[in-house]
Amino acid sequence: MMRRLFSPLVLFLLLVFLIGPFIIIVAASLSGGETLAFPPQGLSLRWVAKVFTIDSFRASFAMSMLLAIGGTLFALILGIPAAYALSRYKLPGGETVRTMVSLPIIVPGIIVGLAILRYLVVPFSFDITLALFFAHTALVLPYAVRVVSASLNNLRSDMEEAAVLLGSSRLGAFFRVVLPNIRSGVLAAFILGFVTSFNQVPVSLFLAKPGVQTLPIDMLGYMETTYDPSVAALSALLAFLSIGIVFLAERFLGFSRYV
Amino acid sequence: MFQNRAEALALALPAAVFVAVVFLAPVLILLSEGFHIAPGGWTLSAYAGFFSEALNQTVFLRTLRLGVEVTAVSAVIGYVAAFAIVNLPPKSKGRMVGLVVLPLMISPVARTYAWIVILGRTGIVNRVVQGLGLSSEPLRLLFSETAVFIGLLQLFLPLMILSLISALENMPKDAIPAARVLGANWFQVFWKVVLPLTREGLVVGGTLVFTGSLTAYITPAILGGSKVLMLETLLYQRISVSNDYVSASVIAFILIVMSFGANLVLKRLATARSRA
Repeated sequence: MMRRLFSPLVLFLLLVFLIGPFIIIVAASLSGGETLAFPPQGLSLRWVAKVFTIDSFRASFAMSMLLAIGGTLFALILGIPAAYALSRYKLPGGETVRTMVSLPIIVPGIIVGLAILRYLVVPFSFDITLALFFAHTALVLPYAVRVVSASLNNLRSDMEEAAVLLGSSRLGAFFRVVLPNIRSGVLAAFILGFVTSFNQVPVSLFLAKPGVQTLPIDMLGYMETTYDPSVAALSALLAFLSIGIVFLAERFLGFSRYV
Repeated sequence: MFQNRAEALALALPAAVFVAVVFLAPVLILLSEGFHIAPGGWTLSAYAGFFSEALNQTVFLRTLRLGVEVTAVSAVIGYVAAFAIVNLPPKSKGRMVGLVVLPLMISPVARTYAWIVILGRTGIVNRVVQGLGLSSEPLRLLFSETAVFIGLLQLFLPLMILSLISALENMPKDAIPAARVLGANWFQVFWKVVLPLTREGLVVGGTLVFTGSLTAYITPAILGGSKVLMLETLLYQRISVSNDYVSASVIAFILIVMSFGANLVLKRLATARSRA
């Protein structure tokens, strides 16, 4: 009897702790009151509506989208060939390359951002947007290589060897045989990279500046000065966006196989 | 397997060069800065200076302590939760895993922000406490080490649960019933059977949680403020408030050593098991 009650109780408490705060954010964002509070004072969509009227949020959302989409695509352009070389060739120094492309995960983001600011942006008067773009690419690259490697390892290499023996060029075999077969792995890498880049703060902390902001950093700044529920509303909207993307990915790709 | 080395290099080189130029070189130069503060020579004096300040010692020990505490507590909760989840029927198990993964997809800013609504002066906890007449003044819950601990635990617990679930599922199905039949009590079953068989999962989860807690920025910044500094928030202060690049370099090196140390331990423990 005890055991039968124990498990559901554990799982209930677990969900309260993990998901509860998210539900509270959603409820607080629907409040009609002037300040952040739970339970909400009356129901209203005014704070959700307000989010769309704040110019800096619009600009930083656009910047975050640009960095997340562009940075992830660039990481895939660099990462897919590297993953292919690591899984299909006897690469001299392969271990070194593997370690190198996974380093950006291990080194704390705030250090990466600071180092890029101090030794790329300042001495070479590098463009901030480009620096942010490179920083986000570096952040996502390890995920891109890892996920694409996983799907390459699941694909038998005799398929492209057969294509080459039948007269296809190596490149042709890659585009006609390999790429279509790892399509869902590449898409999974893209989504994982997108979510990682979009939500991350420490890497861009030192790089962002007024006018060139990413959304999470803009939100942090807004929270310091204003105590109204609009950040709650924005958080709720973003959360639904991420959940929607992941849900669709899971539905159509079986995303969780790759994570 | 293709044999052509030039081709392989041409494919791998762009990524390697990108990481070397954009990431590795700047980080290495930054790290070296704390070692040659005097022109021409290498010295550890910046490190001695850093650790001689009481505030820095406090922050260093706090970062280490919170990392260990969050890892230990998430391991305990993780085992209980993972056991409960593994024993669910397949359909509800899938749903439950989905719910555990869900918070990982939500922005850490949003997740941490929720704790302000819960722990703030006019937050839920204070309303309940004052409503019950337990205290007339609102309690100071935010900007405390406890608040940071709670925030970090919520942030990283899912990683521990996920790796323990896969460890428990890889365990031989009849190991636990066999131990029970042979007369072991539940404590002995866990200590002598479950723990050794799931060690790898525990180590993987533990490393993720530990390094995550050490290197988290948002949670200590929002829930700890300038009262409960951790190494990351201290580093940020040293740059943005006092432009002190030498201290920043020292902190960066300490963080990297801790983070790499945890990852090395992981590799060591994982390979020790597969050899045994």
